[in-house]
Amino acid sequence: MTCPHAKELMAAYWQRELTVEDTALLRRHLETCPECSAEMTALGGLWDRLADLPAPEPGHTLDARWQQTIGILTSAQPASRGFSLANFWPRSPVWGVALAAACLVIGVIAGMNMPRRNPEIAKLREEISSTREMVALSLLEQQSATERLRGVSYSGRLDNMEPEVLSALTSAVAHDASVNVRLAAIDALTRASGRPEVLRSLTQSLPAQDSPMVQAAVIDYLVDARDHQAVAALRQLAEQPDLNPAVLERARYAVSQLSR
Amino acid sequence: MINADPASDHDRMRAVARGDLASMNAIYENRHRPLFRFFFRLTGRQAMAEDLVHEVFVRMIRYRHTYQMETVSAGTFEAWMYRIARNALADTTRKHRLETTAAEGELESIESTRPTPFDAAAKRQDLALLYRALRALPEDKREVLVLARFQNLAYDEIGRILGCESGTVKGRVFRAMKELSAIYSDLSKEKTA
Repeated sequence: MTCPHAKELMAAYWQRELTVEDTALLRRHLETCPECSAEMTALGGLWDRLADLPAPEPGHTLDARWQQTIGILTSAQPASRGFSLANFWPRSPVWGVALAAACLVIGVIAGMNMPRRNPEIAKLREEISSTREMVALSLLEQQSATERLRGVSYSGRLDNMEPEVLSALTSAVAHDASVNVRLAAIDALTRASGRPEVLRSLTQSLPAQDSPMVQAAVIDYLVDARDHQAVAALRQLAEQPDLNPAVLERARYAVSQLSR
Repeated sequence: MINADPASDHDRMRAVARGDLASMNAIYENRHRPLFRFFFRLTGRQAMAEDLVHEVFVRMIRYRHTYQMETVSAGTFEAWMYRIARNALADTTRKHRLETTAAEGELESIESTRPTPFDAAAKRQDLALLYRALRALPEDKREVLVLARFQNLAYDEIGRILGCESGTVKGRVFRAMKELSAIYSDLSKEKTA
């Protein structure tokens, strides 16, 4: 056995990864090589003493920070896609047309017999909705990243995303200084993934994004939305010389998916 | 070895990749302490290590789709997580390179004026010297030693993280130990002189 090989076996021995056969080989080498034998004794002792170094512990604020982040990310997530009416739709086209016609008839009859909505309640609902929007928009303009994250979370829970809210969220994706806010805004925009103005804004924001995570999130968003118009921008992104390898892989994957 | 069950975290991460973000909480519970220790031993800074742990979990959620592309095996999660951790650390140190270099002297004073439980225990003479020797190791050697000795990862696992053969990892660990021993010896002589 050569000394370099013996040194590899020593490292394996310290880590308790050496087989019985290799341990015997190493012992035989150590008996004939004083230099390796001295190293085994000295370094093996040091290896054992490293275990005595105390294990550092994180502070309590880390847990609180994580709980806040996961809370925001899960609340900004769209509702579960497990249940879908499509699962109940008949596969046969004939039955599909018949069911659609039946739904139409039922809908018309129900609509004609539906009592008129109380205009005051309707107005109240509009006011509440408008107030929620104002709160969301106001939070999105705060200096504190935590408050802006709350704004994004709030926006994601609005019944209807009005153009002002969409504009604030797309603006957050393009310009917000905090990566977490940008990521949460992208998640919140999932509900509006079919809107052309949202897709356009996110595509335009790609070249200026400095965070690989945000770049990857925007790419995933465009793929999920099947935005074929984003292909040119994605190709340009993939040609950037200092692009993160993981983002490059995602961009190429996106181009292949959207070019079909 | 790490207490966390790697097979379970592998399954949990696959659930996260399918959209079940809440499963990330259990992964956080299992992994945030080992990750913190990894970062702390590499940076020597409590706040930076905590920031990096947070960053790794955010990145795991962000890159959850890439987890499905990984080879399906129980050991995959460990290597995937540490690759993300190394990238996060590289990005942070690149961003703060000048700041870090300028703050080398400051680090000593921060540690002495704000002792953590770790510092208090490490001040026992011998361990303090060993701690200083570990801090004085070049980054690449400290990293491989931390992964092997403190994170308790097997050499083939470390090879997957660093992108090399397990035999290469063993050689690097040996050289790191040799240099650590030399630095420790010098520090001991300085102390007795």
